[in-house]
Amino acid sequence: MKKALVTSLLIIAAIPMLIAVAALPRHGALDTPVQTGISAHYLEFGVEEAGAENIVTDVILNYRGFDTEFEVTVIFTSLAAVLALLLGASTAGATLSRPGSGVRPSVVVRFVVRLLAPFTAMFAIYVILNGHVSPGGGFQGGAVLGALFITLTVVLGGARVAGAFPEASRRWLQIAAPLTFAVAGVAGVLLTGFYLGYPTEVGLHWLRTFMIIAIEIGIGVGGAAIIATLFIVMEAE
Amino acid sequence: MSTAFDITLLLLLIATALAVARLKDLLAAAVVFSTYSLVMCLLWLHRGAPDVAMTEAAVGAGVTTVLFLIAIGRTTRREK
Repeated sequence: MKKALVTSLLIIAAIPMLIAVAALPRHGALDTPVQTGISAHYLEFGVEEAGAENIVTDVILNYRGFDTEFEVTVIFTSLAAVLALLLGASTAGATLSRPGSGVRPSVVVRFVVRLLAPFTAMFAIYVILNGHVSPGGGFQGGAVLGALFITLTVVLGGARVAGAFPEASRRWLQIAAPLTFAVAGVAGVLLTGFYLGYPTEVGLHWLRTFMIIAIEIGIGVGGAAIIATLFIVMEAE
Repeated sequence: MSTAFDITLLLLLIATALAVARLKDLLAAAVVFSTYSLVMCLLWLHRGAPDVAMTEAAVGAGVTTVLFLIAIGRTTRREK
């Protein structure tokens, strides 16, 4: 009885949703707001106005810069919440030991990870630094960098990887993304009078590109540090 | 060709999503969920969003799966 009721309720709820989906414009149709609205402006003037050849980066860091700034703040806040929950419970805090099951990865896994690690790192850095030209940027490169950190920790053991990141610098790495955004924002106030404003004068294009790359690096480093910290804190005993 | 590829991926996506919801073994569910992310990644790539595909592969298939596995290791493997 209850099951029949739930099923019929779900079907009733599904009907308007499916009708709405059927009424959606076709993917890539020319008369949709996506094509007729602001997007056309972005595509035509984005490179000139915002300064990055990759239009996605133009939108993320320039046109919708505030969105992105508070997005990275939200990510940092979520890390803070996880730290407060998990570190509050344990007295030892995040020690980079690798307890787990004590099973070492097979020699094949260890060899492949060690072989690919430098190339993965180089790819991540390329994605971060090239975000204003090609698809990618801080979020993508940071995710790859964080994943690399996790695989290296699993294979080499936490102690060796943690040696590269002293306790004091870790806090700064974790907050890197909101911090660089704030610095770039204040620099924008000084340069143009607007928070997160990018200079548009012809002679200052190098500075605009520099600001974009600096923010990308900040997002990449911060994202990687947050992913790595989540892993460390969850795994630590 | 292109449409057939899309439809195959979408069917695979639905199948893995249903499997994740149905599986009682959480370890198996986590692994199937990473397959879901991988299929999703291919779809993003095919839809012309390589940057989203990259994030999906690294975060969806990689990092979240690792975090799920740790969480399962610290709790229980079977759904109650």
